[in-house]
Amino acid sequence: MIIFLARRFLWFLLTLWVVFTASFFLMRAVPGGPFDGERKLEPDVKQAIERRYRVNEPLVKQYAYHLGMAVGVLTEEGKFRLGLPDLGPSYRIRDYSVNQIIAQGLPVSASLGILALAFSLVVGLSAGIIAALRRQTWVDTSVMLLATTGMAVPNFWMAGVCILLFVFMIPLFPAAGWGSVSNLVLPAFCLGAPYAAYIARLTRTGMLEVLHQDYIRTARAKGLTGSRVILHHALKGALLPVVSFLGPAAAGILTGSLVIEKVFHLSGIGSYFVEAALQRDYPLAMGVVLIYTVVLYMMNVIVDISYAIMDPRIKLQ
Amino acid sequence: MPQTIRKLFPPAAFVALIGAIFWATSLGTLPPAEFTFNNGTEIKSLDPAQVTGSPEGRIVRALFEGLYSPDAKTLEPRPAMALTADPKEILTEQGKIYTFPLRRDAVWSDGKPVTAEDFRWSWQRLLHPETGSQYHFVLSAYVVNAAKYNAGIVDPGDQVEIELPNRPRLQQLFPRGKMLHGKLLEIERPDASGVSEIQTGNEKSESKREWIYTVQVDGVKRRFSQHPPPGQAVEKCLHLLLNFNQVGIRVLEPYRLQVELKSPTPYFLYLMQFYVTVPVNRTCIERFGYPDWIRPENIVVNGPFQIDFRRLRDRIRLKKNDRYWNASAVQLQTVDALAVESSSTGLNMYLVGDVDWLPSPPSEVIPHLEGRRDYHSISSLSIYFYRLNVTRKPFDNPLVRMALSRAIDRKRICKAILRAGQEPAYSLVPPVLLHYPAAQSPQYNLKAARRLLAQAGYPGGRGLRSIEILFNTSDGHRKIAEAIQQDWQRLGVDVRLRNLEWQTYLSTTRKMEYDVARAGWIGDYPDPNTFLDLFVTGGVQNETGWGNRAFDQLIDQATQEADPDKRMQILHQAEEIIMGELPVLPIYFYVSTNLVKPYVRGFFSNSQDLHPLTSISIDKVEQKKDRSRRDGT
Repeated sequence: MIIFLARRFLWFLLTLWVVFTASFFLMRAVPGGPFDGERKLEPDVKQAIERRYRVNEPLVKQYAYHLGMAVGVLTEEGKFRLGLPDLGPSYRIRDYSVNQIIAQGLPVSASLGILALAFSLVVGLSAGIIAALRRQTWVDTSVMLLATTGMAVPNFWMAGVCILLFVFMIPLFPAAGWGSVSNLVLPAFCLGAPYAAYIARLTRTGMLEVLHQDYIRTARAKGLTGSRVILHHALKGALLPVVSFLGPAAAGILTGSLVIEKVFHLSGIGSYFVEAALQRDYPLAMGVVLIYTVVLYMMNVIVDISYAIMDPRIKLQ
Repeated sequence: MPQTIRKLFPPAAFVALIGAIFWATSLGTLPPAEFTFNNGTEIKSLDPAQVTGSPEGRIVRALFEGLYSPDAKTLEPRPAMALTADPKEILTEQGKIYTFPLRRDAVWSDGKPVTAEDFRWSWQRLLHPETGSQYHFVLSAYVVNAAKYNAGIVDPGDQVEIELPNRPRLQQLFPRGKMLHGKLLEIERPDASGVSEIQTGNEKSESKREWIYTVQVDGVKRRFSQHPPPGQAVEKCLHLLLNFNQVGIRVLEPYRLQVELKSPTPYFLYLMQFYVTVPVNRTCIERFGYPDWIRPENIVVNGPFQIDFRRLRDRIRLKKNDRYWNASAVQLQTVDALAVESSSTGLNMYLVGDVDWLPSPPSEVIPHLEGRRDYHSISSLSIYFYRLNVTRKPFDNPLVRMALSRAIDRKRICKAILRAGQEPAYSLVPPVLLHYPAAQSPQYNLKAARRLLAQAGYPGGRGLRSIEILFNTSDGHRKIAEAIQQDWQRLGVDVRLRNLEWQTYLSTTRKMEYDVARAGWIGDYPDPNTFLDLFVTGGVQNETGWGNRAFDQLIDQATQEADPDKRMQILHQAEEIIMGELPVLPIYFYVSTNLVKPYVRGFFSNSQDLHPLTSISIDKVEQKKDRSRRDGT
């Protein structure tokens, strides 16, 4: 287990470095600089800004500087230090450093993501189990119909319909904003719905397969109650595909949150994902990319570990 | 895997899930502000010297106050930190020297008085090249020697100031390192290319750092360079600029500020109500440095409001500044400026009552808003136009440009596409300026356009290469470009569309790598000059390659003219020239649209879309009625 984690950690560092390097050079290969405004600046003024943000230096030098800061061995002024990673100041939201921006936005995105994931798990699992048990009845058909629709509908459309229904026609929830739990219900629902649908289908298929296995028949023959057979024996096997789906689901929820954050005016980091790139805010774009890399990598490791715990046939290598 | 872990795993995962949900929903609730408006985006900065856009302007104006502030109704300069706006009292010497008496009862939020020195220092900071302000021109274009200071230009014989590289923090402009003052004797240019004129190119400017300046400091000759060559007796300096006391900004007495202009500028007081000219607090900036000085816990302000807190991408909460000199006139106690970027989300929030003022509602719903009591729209001081690259064929031919202009059916664009009351534009200056009759270019006439094109040597578009319209990515711009594409295709011209996202579009137009490029301009002050002087030969915002000596002369003449009526005539003549040559094709004049709840008092529509928070108040009785009406339906 420890060897597994250590190996994964090394790969993690390597992945981060590759992502950092690729993003660094790709971003700067696009035409248009971060300090091109509608008004032209005097050459001396423009240079002063470029010097302050070090965008006038050769690319390799910039790369070394930013990498040094991100690794935590260089200060903003280029001196040696040992400390936490620092991504430098944002070019566009100039009053803040990238670290500060992410520190403010990440909790918002994280709570939205957690709620959406929790929602999709609870709803998806229950719906999947019910559909499997009531196989080929109207319950099964309607759950699967709903699930297929849920997967097909894009979340911005879902958000629009939800706002019409639950904000304007039946005023249950606030239109947008951040501050109370009621603010999060609609966004979490819209963000989680397609994943709930997918999980429902996975659970149903998994359950159906497991329910026909010999050990389930044995459990029933032992005289166990129906609910114990299902929750204790069948569900464990049916959960495996769902658990392995959680990695990609977390990725989708993270990257999908930018639309939902916009529609419901949530101040998470999702919107920076696109905007920072468009505004040539290199440090912020880099910060968001790195955060996503970290989250995805961690989710995948967690999935691998829980997989090994749940299924005795699987060994961590 | 040990059995215990396997056993413990399901409950542990369950507890983790519950814990995560608990954390995700543990939010503090926020009491609503008295007045909430949508500011449209997360502002770039709160530092008055850094900002350019109107969302930033709204916040800066709430926190700081300059010499004048615009009247909410008429936009006329109203005395703010200055005591009077009466030209008889402040203006001398053919309109070139302004002497502003300052209010003695104005204090910073730390209790210290606001003095003329605060203005001098703030303006020096604004003009300093290292600040990198985009709006420095508000001073540099008008005040004696300010442009020289800003651009870092010095000539032998000038009094100069030299900053030695011993700042407490290198990244911070203020406090500065040790300052030396002296007379510049000589400039050595190591590249020896013999260029003596003012350097403009970027590369040349880079080599300027290697120049060696010989300066007489306290009777001793010393040599300085920003990038001293090794092995020579040259001292390193961070900046060598014109001595700021040569710039026409002077402190006469603690409460008397004098500004000397290059030429009479009838609209100078309008510039003095621009948000970049507000004073900032020196003690605060030198103590905390940028950007820490603008943190809510550090910032020192002199305006009607203070920052309570700022949540990125969410809101800025303002609270009334009780130390503001005119605090008794400020009615609102708390104000929220939301950073909602999606205009339909903004509209939803307005409709359910979370927002009291929504600037620029989504254009799709405007036809439905027309006629509502809470919808305000007014022509604004801004124009949507196309630039033509006259350095490329066939746009070098004025006949082609005129033909293209006359083939655009602007009325149809306004009626069928824009639909918010926009006016078709045939002039560069919007028709909202009272004392200025704009010079019109000929209107839509397809036959005339065909004839002109034939005269230019391209009958029916034959022999004409296909041309490309460049615009920054947006559905609105695309629709207009498509309409114009159709119009021009009727002339027999093959037109392609090309969209680029904003930053790439900016650098592409700047490098003149386009045929026809979409553009917009918002007037900085209510005077025709703000639109016309863009297009002087080689002007930084010109970007068309067009130049006309007579036009340049008229613009120059207008800046020298003290008589307002004559000045307007001269500007009109200049506009006639550019509207005859058409290096730019005016398309339409923007309107500013606002949704404001009927219980908001003191909100007035005006051409610059400025709505000072100081004049706004809430009618509580009306508000209650409005809320109950909505809950009832």
